[in-house]
Formats: sequence, structure tokens, C-alpha cells
Amino acid sequence: MKSTLKIEGLRVEVAGKEVLKGFDLAMRSGEVHVIMGPNGSGKSTLAHALAGHPGYKVLDGSVTIDGVELLGLSPTERARHGLLLAMQQPLEVPGVRPIDLLVAAGVDPTNLRQRMRDEAERVELRPDVLERFVNVDLSGGERKRAEMVQFGILRPKFAILDEIDSGLDVDALGAVARRLAESTTEWDCGILAITHFRRLLQELTPTMIHVMSEGRVVATGGPELSEVLERDGYEPFRPVPS
Amino acid sequence: MNNFADSASSFLHDRPDAAARQLAWAAFEAAGLPTTDDEVWRYAPLKELELGRFDVAVQPSNRPDSPFAAQLCERAGLVVRVVDGFCTSTGAPTDGVEVDIDESTGSLAGSTLLERYESDTFAILNTALAPATTLIRIADGVNVDKPIVVLNLSNSTSSFSRTQIQLGRGSSATVVEYFEGGADALVVPLSEYLIGDNAALQLITYQRLDQSAWHVARTTGFLRRDARLRQAVIGIGAHYNRSRNDAEMLDAGAENELRTTFLGSGRQVHDFRTHQLHIAPRTRSTLLSKGAVADESRSVYTGLIEIEKGAKRTDARQTNHNLLLSPAAHADSVPNLDIRENDVMCAHASSVGPLDELQRWYLESRGVSREDAERLMIQGFFYEMLANLPTELAELVERDVTSVLAAVNVVAP
Repeated sequence: MKSTLKIEGLRVEVAGKEVLKGFDLAMRSGEVHVIMGPNGSGKSTLAHALAGHPGYKVLDGSVTIDGVELLGLSPTERARHGLLLAMQQPLEVPGVRPIDLLVAAGVDPTNLRQRMRDEAERVELRPDVLERFVNVDLSGGERKRAEMVQFGILRPKFAILDEIDSGLDVDALGAVARRLAESTTEWDCGILAITHFRRLLQELTPTMIHVMSEGRVVATGGPELSEVLERDGYEPFRPVPS
Repeated sequence: MNNFADSASSFLHDRPDAAARQLAWAAFEAAGLPTTDDEVWRYAPLKELELGRFDVAVQPSNRPDSPFAAQLCERAGLVVRVVDGFCTSTGAPTDGVEVDIDESTGSLAGSTLLERYESDTFAILNTALAPATTLIRIADGVNVDKPIVVLNLSNSTSSFSRTQIQLGRGSSATVVEYFEGGADALVVPLSEYLIGDNAALQLITYQRLDQSAWHVARTTGFLRRDARLRQAVIGIGAHYNRSRNDAEMLDAGAENELRTTFLGSGRQVHDFRTHQLHIAPRTRSTLLSKGAVADESRSVYTGLIEIEKGAKRTDARQTNHNLLLSPAAHADSVPNLDIRENDVMCAHASSVGPLDELQRWYLESRGVSREDAERLMIQGFFYEMLANLPTELAELVERDVTSVLAAVNVVAP
């Protein structure tokens, strides 16, 4: 059965400033949606607010998966309803190993180490990284790939990938994009990828592209939209000052 | 202190090296127990310490090993057993390793123990009352590949154990000093480590005494040229857990990495003290102290970095993080620097507070409950201490720590 993620009228404040000003988006399982926009347009705020980051205050709006409202729920409950945020800068958690995190998250421990190694191989991550503490002393690219290992094991209904392409070289980006694309058929995962680089789109074919500016979606279209962005940049998408 | 003095007197009677012991005993009697007016003991609940109720053991008791001790032994290359301060087994013969029972009262630093520890009443008591020194010598150039386990078991009401570990030039070894038992007992261990030129000692002190024990421990590393001491001290048990861990970088290039951690629960007091003494140039010390206090427990960490004139290009770092797991728990942190040389690099940082909110959020965002996230992070303190251990040993200690943590209350402040 297909699931639906629906974001409606989402308004979010960071450090006293309203950054998301009524964000709307709806997507279904197995779809790939890409949010593009210049720096400061509110992309990362969207990602953090969805995952319940303590520094982001939701002022208004609704986020549901299959009709269940997530905004009043703890970060844990949101994750358990099928939402996963792969972070732009995954945090270091000293003393905690990835396998212990996953078991605590409720993953079946049977053969888990081997399943993690298989996932690591798919994104070209050295398996010894899995034995280190979560993200501690990892390079930027290793962290991104380590997040993808968690993604492959946790199998969320919807994954939000915040700048998953930054810090990755071309080969690694290809491997990560392939892994994401495969998830859309493997367990019908819905992918919401946030980026300001077009190169991710060369590897991961989007169902829809949403252009974001000043805290809301200003244009939505098919893959052809990225060609417009390539040619004209974000300038034509700036909202008309009111 | 009738019982204690009487049993000490019967113990001292006829011991080898009786003169030196009598001298130490006289020094103890003259000084008496310290009080909290003494800066070094100001956080200790000394008023609750009634020495009179302890007996000095005249022979080791007999009790089977705990399941944990047995598992630890299975992973060891050599097991040295010390019961109530008496070395009862020096273990199987091992190439390049010599284990002796040494009746003298000399310090590895060259002086007598009494001279060396004259200002420390409990160390003086150890000098008088430890049955003997368990002396472990690793020969020059020998790399001992499997861990040496020193099982330190306390069954009687007081025990004074003394361990000296000597690493010859270019040798290396991993040693676990493990403490258990000690119900309603006074446990006063004293350890010294002399690490020769270019030698490397990896040391784990794991204290799992009964929650009613008084544990007053002291360790000192003496590091020669390019020697390395990597020491992890884990304190879980005891009513009062005093752990003083010193290192003296005597020759150029010596390096000390010390990690200490504790978990306080109930009404425990954890009192950690460190002293890194840099005497020679190009010496390094890195200290990481992390601990968590729950319920009504208290902790204090007092660390001194001392750099002598001439210890040029010394690099000394000290970090202390304390975690409060209950509004009624309390932690103090007292870092001190004493630097008499200009050409040095020195840094210290300390913090007291609740768990890192963002780290916790990261775990929660993966579907880990808040309670489990906090437990994982606290376990992490201990796991970090074990990061360099041989895997099967680390896993064993981790499982043990995890079982203790499962019983601790975490109350968000």
C-alpha cells in the first residue's frame, strides 16, 4: 500500500526569525522529490524541523504520514512513523557504535553486522568504519555514506536527505544515488532530496522538482525544471515582493 | 580503634621487614586519619569512617571467583591472584614475565615507600599492612601479547594490596587490575608502574567493589625515555571511591594517556585525583576524565598538571566532563596548573551539566527512545575508555558496565 507524506502551510522560526513561511509539499511512496534553492531559502530548516531538531520552533502548519500528524510527536515517534533525516553534517556521538544505535532503534539484531557490511559495500564505505563510534573522526564523505548505511537498515517510509551530495566525489555520489534509487523499488521508499547542486539529478531521476525561495515553494515541475535552473539560475524564481 | 590496632599489631608481629613496617605504623599512629580540613581530603566523608570496626587479615580467605572474574581469567594470558592483599597465585610461567612476591617495602621510584608517600596516611597504612608486594617484571624487548590479569579480591574487612609492574626497555604489555568484593570493608590498594625506555604499558583499572566498601587507591606511573603509559581507570563500586592516579614523566619523550571514568549512584562519593608531573623535555600527557552522577551521589575531580623548569616543549592537556543524571546529584571539577617553564603547550577544559542535547536528538531521530538514547550516551563514556583494549576483553567489560547501567535511574534535570 502506498503511503503519503503531506506538508501543509509549514511555518518555522529559527533564533527568533521566521525562515519557513508556509511550505507545502505532498509525495507518495516510491517517488523521488528534489528540493532545490539558493542558500538561505530555508532548505535545511525544512529538514531539521521535520526531524524535530530542538533549535527549530514550528509556528504553524501540518506534517502527516498517512494522515498521522507528526508535528506534536517526539523525534523518536516521528522516526518510528517512518521518517528519517540523513543530515548534512551528521553529528558525532562519542562512545556509541552504529550497531548499538540501530539495535536501540528497534532493528532486528539477527545477522545485523553482516547486513550493515552489505549496505556499506553498496555505498563504497570501508567496513571498519562501522566499528568506530558514530561519525567520530570520519571524513565528510564517510559520514554521508555512514548515514546511508543507517538508511539501508532502518528502511524508512520517507527519507529526507539534506545535501547528501556535498562532500562526496563523483564516484561516491554515483553509488549513493544508485542506493537511493534502488530503495524506491526495494521497499517503496519515498525520497525527498535537498540540494543546491544539479549533479545529484544526473544520478537520481526525480519524479518532481520543487524550487524553494525565501521559505516557500515557488515552482514545481518535472525533471525539465532542472534545465531551466541550469540555464537561468534561481533569479526567475524569486517571489515578487509584496 | 581497638580492633584495628589490635589486629594490626598481631599482623605486624613477625612480618619480614618488620622494622620498616613498624616505622610506617608509628608514622600512621602519629598522623592519624586525615580530616576534611585537609584540602586533599575535603570531599571525603571521613566522619563516617570508623577504623575500629575493621580487622587486619593475617591470612587470605577463601571464596570462589565471581562469574565475571572467571570470564576475565579466560581471556588472560597470565592470571595473578591477590586475596585480601596476599598474593595467592603468581600464575603459570610465561616467557619474559616474572611474578614475584616481594617482602620489602621499597618504592619503584628508588626511595622507600614511607619516604615516597609520607604525606598520604592511607599509603602509609598500606606500607605497614600490605602482606607483600606483588611484583610483575617484563623483560627487556618482550612483547606480551595476551593480557595479564591481576585479580584483586577482598573478602576480609580490610585489605591492603600492593602491586608493582616493571617493564624493561622496549617491552610492551596489557595489564588489567580488577577489584571486587569488599562488603563493609576498607580496601587500600597501592600500585606503581615503572616503564623503561621505549616500553609501553596499557593498563586498565576496573573497580567493581561492593557499594558499601571504602576504597582508597593510589597508582603512580614512572616513565623513562620515550616510555608510554596508557591507563584507563573505571570506578563503579564502593561507598567512597577515592582514586588517585599520578604519572611522572622522568625522561624526554615520555607519554602518558590517562582516562578515568566513574558512575555514581545511591549516595556514593567518587573522589578522583590526578597529578601529571613533567620533569623532562618533550613529554606529553593527555587526560580525559568523564563521569556521571545519579541519585544523590557526588563526585569531585581534582587534576594537577605540573611542569618543571627545563621540561621544554611539554604538551599537557586535561579535559573533564561531568554528567548530572539527577537534580540531587552533584559534581565538582577542580583543574590546577603549576607551570615553571615557558616553552610548553598546556590546556584544560571542564564542564558539568546534562547530556548533550543535539547528540541525543541525533539518536532519537533514528527512532531511539529518549531513555535509551541517554543510556547509550552514558555507556559511551565507559566504552570510550575501553576503545584501545583487545576486543574480547573490551566486550566483556562493556557487558558488565551495561548491566550496571541498566539499573541506574536517569532523571532529566
